[in-house]
Amino acid sequence: MSERKTRLTVTIDPHLAAYAERLVDAGKAESVSAVVNGALADRAEKDRRITRRWEETVAAATDEDRAKAARMLARIEEHTGR
Amino acid sequence: MSEDSGAALPPYVLDVSVLAEVARGDRGTMLLLAELDSRGRPLILPALAVTGASLDMRDDAAGELLEGVGRLEGAFTAPLRDAEQAVALAAVIAKTGLDPWDAHAAAVADASVCHILTLNGTKWRQHARDLDEPLYFIEIADPDDEDR
Repeated sequence: MSERKTRLTVTIDPHLAAYAERLVDAGKAESVSAVVNGALADRAEKDRRITRRWEETVAAATDEDRAKAARMLARIEEHTGR
Repeated sequence: MSEDSGAALPPYVLDVSVLAEVARGDRGTMLLLAELDSRGRPLILPALAVTGASLDMRDDAAGELLEGVGRLEGAFTAPLRDAEQAVALAAVIAKTGLDPWDAHAAAVADASVCHILTLNGTKWRQHARDLDEPLYFIEIADPDDEDR
């Protein structure tokens, strides 16, 4: 990412702040900001992967799958009257 | 399709049998949950029911599918929030003899007075009157596919 960084004030747990500082002290991260940025990037990638997995699985649904879902929905509607 | 009548719809609690089908990648069950979500029906995932379903299917794909349910717009995970809830769960386990994952679904449904969605009606029929208030459930399995 080449765009300018956004300055953000956040509050984090003391043990996580200490961990980020240890990473910096050990030379494993450039800065605490880099640690937080990396963690958010990891989280965003994980969210994308989960969404992709769900969408790809549902997109592969067959007519039989759709019929099964419709039968289950019908059972719910029979039960609730809607 | 919409169920919008102005009033908020009561949530459904997903039990381990439904969540295990998601973990296995059962597209019919996933389509059902997506449809309910698109209709504005809140879905509650008891955290321990997710644990039970995850035990049933131990791989990354299953974990991602289970997390995917929690990312539906109206879905939320019901945690064991504090010691009080943890002790209350123990009381439900003691009263019902259910596994922790089913007991958590029962506790959540009991507290929020809403229906449990299940593929295993037999289990919930056996335990529906174990607590002070009856448990309500909807069996969604095909008749020839029940009681797994």
